[in-house]
Amino acid sequence: MALEGRAAGPVTLRERAASGPGRGRPGRSSARAARGSWRRFASNPVAVVGLVLTVLFVLVAALTSVIAPTDPFSFAGTPFEPPSAKHWLGTDDLGRDVLAGVVHGARTSLLVGVAVAGASLVIGTVVGGVAGFAGGKVDDLLMRLTELSQVLPRFFLALTVVALFGPGLTNMVLVLALTSWELTARVARSGVLAVKELEYVTAAEALGSSPGRNLRTHVLPNTIAPVVALASLQVGGAILIEASLSFLGLGDPNVISWGYMLNNAQSFVRRAWWMSVFPGLAIAVAVLGVNLLGDALNDFWNPRSRSGGESG
Amino acid sequence: MRRLSLIGVILALALLAASCGDDGSDEPISQPAEPAVEASAAESEPASEAPADEPEPAAEPEPAAEESAAEPEPAAEEPAAEAEPAAEEPAAEDSRRGGTLVIALSDDPGHFNPGITTGFNVHAVTGSIFNGLVELDDNANPHPDLAERWDVSDDSTQYTFHLVEGVRWHDGEPMTSADVKFTFENVLLHYHSRTRGGLSGILESIDTPDDTTVVFNFTQPYAALLQRLNSTEAPILPKHIYEGVDDVQTADANLTPVGTGPFKLESYDIDNEITLVRNDDYFKAGLPYLDRVVMRVIPDQNTQVLALEEGEVDYIWRVPGGDIERLSGVDSIVLHGVNSGPGGGFCIPTLTFNSERDVFSDLRVRQAIAHAVNRDQMLAQVIFGQGRVATGPINSQMAFAYSDDVTTYAYDVDRANALLDEAGYASGGTRFTIDLLVFSFGDFPKYGEVMRQNLAEVGIEVEVMPLDRSAFIPRVFGERDFDTNIISYCNNTDPSIGVARMYISSNIGDIPFSNGAAYVNPAIDVLFDEAASTPDVARRGELYGEIQRILTAELPYLWLVETRFTAGSGANVGGLQPNSGHVAETAYFEE
Amino acid sequence: MVRYTVRRLLQAVPLVFGAAVVTWILIHAAPGDPIVALAGEDGDAGYYAMMRERFGLDRPLHEQLFVYLGRLAQGDLGFSYRQNRSAVSVILDQLPATLLLMVPALAVASVIGISVGTLAAARKNSALDNTARTATLLGHAVPVFWLSQVLLLLFALRFDWFPVQGRSDARAGYEGFRALLDVGHHMVLPIAALVTVYVPPIMRVTRAAVIENLDEMYIRAARARGQSRRRVLIRHALPNAMLPIVTVIGSQIGFMFAGSVLVETVFAWPGLGRLLLSAILARDFAIITAMLLMLSVTIILMNLITDLVYSLLDPRVRHGT
Repeated sequence: MALEGRAAGPVTLRERAASGPGRGRPGRSSARAARGSWRRFASNPVAVVGLVLTVLFVLVAALTSVIAPTDPFSFAGTPFEPPSAKHWLGTDDLGRDVLAGVVHGARTSLLVGVAVAGASLVIGTVVGGVAGFAGGKVDDLLMRLTELSQVLPRFFLALTVVALFGPGLTNMVLVLALTSWELTARVARSGVLAVKELEYVTAAEALGSSPGRNLRTHVLPNTIAPVVALASLQVGGAILIEASLSFLGLGDPNVISWGYMLNNAQSFVRRAWWMSVFPGLAIAVAVLGVNLLGDALNDFWNPRSRSGGESG
Repeated sequence: MRRLSLIGVILALALLAASCGDDGSDEPISQPAEPAVEASAAESEPASEAPADEPEPAAEPEPAAEESAAEPEPAAEEPAAEAEPAAEEPAAEDSRRGGTLVIALSDDPGHFNPGITTGFNVHAVTGSIFNGLVELDDNANPHPDLAERWDVSDDSTQYTFHLVEGVRWHDGEPMTSADVKFTFENVLLHYHSRTRGGLSGILESIDTPDDTTVVFNFTQPYAALLQRLNSTEAPILPKHIYEGVDDVQTADANLTPVGTGPFKLESYDIDNEITLVRNDDYFKAGLPYLDRVVMRVIPDQNTQVLALEEGEVDYIWRVPGGDIERLSGVDSIVLHGVNSGPGGGFCIPTLTFNSERDVFSDLRVRQAIAHAVNRDQMLAQVIFGQGRVATGPINSQMAFAYSDDVTTYAYDVDRANALLDEAGYASGGTRFTIDLLVFSFGDFPKYGEVMRQNLAEVGIEVEVMPLDRSAFIPRVFGERDFDTNIISYCNNTDPSIGVARMYISSNIGDIPFSNGAAYVNPAIDVLFDEAASTPDVARRGELYGEIQRILTAELPYLWLVETRFTAGSGANVGGLQPNSGHVAETAYFEE
Repeated sequence: MVRYTVRRLLQAVPLVFGAAVVTWILIHAAPGDPIVALAGEDGDAGYYAMMRERFGLDRPLHEQLFVYLGRLAQGDLGFSYRQNRSAVSVILDQLPATLLLMVPALAVASVIGISVGTLAAARKNSALDNTARTATLLGHAVPVFWLSQVLLLLFALRFDWFPVQGRSDARAGYEGFRALLDVGHHMVLPIAALVTVYVPPIMRVTRAAVIENLDEMYIRAARARGQSRRRVLIRHALPNAMLPIVTVIGSQIGFMFAGSVLVETVFAWPGLGRLLLSAILARDFAIITAMLLMLSVTIILMNLITDLVYSLLDPRVRHGT
């Protein structure tokens, strides 16, 4: 969130629209831009570390069945075994393998993070895009709605909804998605506005070009990339919120997750440190990775946005 | 600009709130809402330790040997348990005087009227502020409290109590028999669920021939009155405070309790701590020893344990099973096996099969699940050995009623598979899927997780659904929307209410902790009826034995484990009474 | 300026009501019956019916919503049936305890965040900068409740320097200055945990803002006039960077409250977190809606203040619309 997180009135909106999201001219070759950005990206060590950690995270999540083929809930050993050759990260109070839990938990966390980011991306792009194209009353209304989504306290809303409607990842993802598209909508809208302005200038040259073509060559490259970059910042935050709610005992007991493991470990901190240390580290590393990556992406696509994942 | 006025109102309220302090808040009727101690006696309370030196069939109604269990109601007080090092004689030894005892509480009680609730947190506090007519020892034997002695008619229909002379309320007014009569007639029989349930039909009248004499007249023999007259079951409230109050449940007086007990309320910082100060005019000479008792709200049980270990608190009501082994090796901490006090007793976490669901209409399915659930594992890993595997609906410590001559279901995966095959649920893959509702606090989700894995072994997929109390109760007992659930049912002192409520057909419906299985068996109804009205204890034992045989064969529920319950205190505290409402009455700090 | 302020305030009104409606509907659409929490589980049908009527729970939901909004318009945020008084007074009772953690944590975090952020900006890509940025990102990634537990295990249990729970020593009952010291002693660990989550956003924004400002034309001009780099930094860049810092605090207020609730939970600190959790368990809807709404209003107010400050400093903004 950070800088752009505040509800901007029309004023700041205008500012933002004026400053525009992407860099360079809307019409430039996206292939060349991509190559250039990759070079810049690769020269940034922070970004590379982020990329590596994220890839690692995704790989673990994707290859759970190879790395830890057993059901993470199965009673794999005797309770409270410290880390050993047999159970690298030890076992928990029911004799479940902590490594299996950490590995399978990666999948849950990634799922939550990506689902929230994806949903907020879609909602934000649609709302922002429609607002930008339609203008007028529709624009006003949609932007009011956008503001509304921003002033709702997302952590507390998620906590309340999950507590009242019952634990379940779906509920959690829905609430988080519904409260995290504000920035995306604004960026999408200003991207569209910038392109619209440009259209008048290039109207003569572009004579005859269809709306579809306009969308493809002008609008998309200028809105999608920054919007995706923004969405990448939602991933870490969503993972942390999921963990926080699970820690408060609001996790889904049918799906293994790091937060669930930490919640369970609470009762045994003095007896089995490994039950809380490893899931905690896993969260830290995964969130660090996606945040670094998201950061680097935004440095490039949304230079005015200085954001990071957070649990607010 | 409307919003400015809103802000103005908020500010005004802030000032108001600041100026009225504690008086502004009241929590008239709510139950404690906090996970860890959710346990009103109706459900999740652990029970006792040690062999059952149970309510022995007392030959006749002698004052002190009165616990023949012939009463039709449960009281929260339990017989049985190991001898506690507690209850010192109230000798006036000044070397014990002084000090502040800190007790951890899992949730803010909300108010201090023990007559209108059976909630744990209220009673945990008010047990030190109010008195009953009698107090019960670790074996549920009655001892004098407000009543110094009592006589019981030969047929157990009339009880006469002689009150201690000169007892005064905290505000200086004298306590008389009129207070006792008022408390029962105007408060307990209306709002205290267990007293109302237990006495309202059979208590004919209460007479007060003079200021220090109270006579209870019953319509039928009632042998177990004394077990329900302690400060938890029947705290005596001041008539001069509550008389004429519109609504006892929301009375402001509930926040400024005036009792006769060893401690008086000094201050109440909502959600943080409650400070009680010594009642210098306590009618038991020399008591209490302590200057103050502070009840500190610490919602999380683990934090309570850490605070006990660090000496920040002196007493916690519940030590989680997982910490017992470790703490028993810590010199600075003493563990107490506890079976009564403000909670319930003799509890059995129980799996309910919803008999209205097709799949459970087949006995073989229920039997298969009984064989598939590894209850030894639950005993070892969920409650860490603090109890035993249950055999049936009655806790083995309720010796007069318990029978082990019942159908048992050993952990046997092959047998479970065979039964399911027989019932027509094809093996290979998932046979069927059921939901399992559990409370979202305490050990309940853990039982659910063990069960989910156990049943997965035989091809039954279980979806565990943790719900908090406010969602769980209406869904299970109101909407009846569940396949299975786990609830800890407490037997309390007598099976007639603590057990019967789960099986009798008249108790199906929107009543919390009732017959959740919707089990109907006329023979069982008759047996419970007969057992409740039979005075002869041996005969009652036979009837309950028969009930257990039928129920374990028909398996409307699966009784998982009997839970035991442990309190913890600092080793430097002596004289605690964990089984009594007056936990701190005789407590003192050792030098 | 006044007109601008009034206009912004008016714009905020529908926002407040929108937030109220969303919150209210979400909470009341949930399963679960407050009557059990309200009347106790031993009540009979007649008693429940009486209590429902008394608290208006027997009316259709949309009517209840209109009643709620009508009261809200008059500044009434609801009545807590659990505590038998207005929800706002219940919340305001607990607010100071939460602020007792948040405000000092925010102050410490600002000092650290701004100074380190400025230094890092001044030496962009230096070792200091990279270390600071990495630390920041780590601070952003570590779950605050987990960190709190680690702090507790280390400094309260292992080293025994600090208490494990609460806001004061229950036994000692200190008064006067000793009581303050005692509370301070209890505050150290929770605040340390909070600082670690508050620093990262502040530092990041400071750094970014200072870098941006350093690039600004007038700063280059100033340097061209021969002022030292350090002087430029302190004279020009930092004050300009204060704005985004105000912004960050404004925009992160929800996040900061969230962190506080988690930390409160670990250290058994009585505050808004405990209030919200127990209100949820008891289905004390008035408290829940009031708390969520008050958070929304706080966020709206912070946004407003930030925008006003911006417009004060940059008249273009005000007249631009």
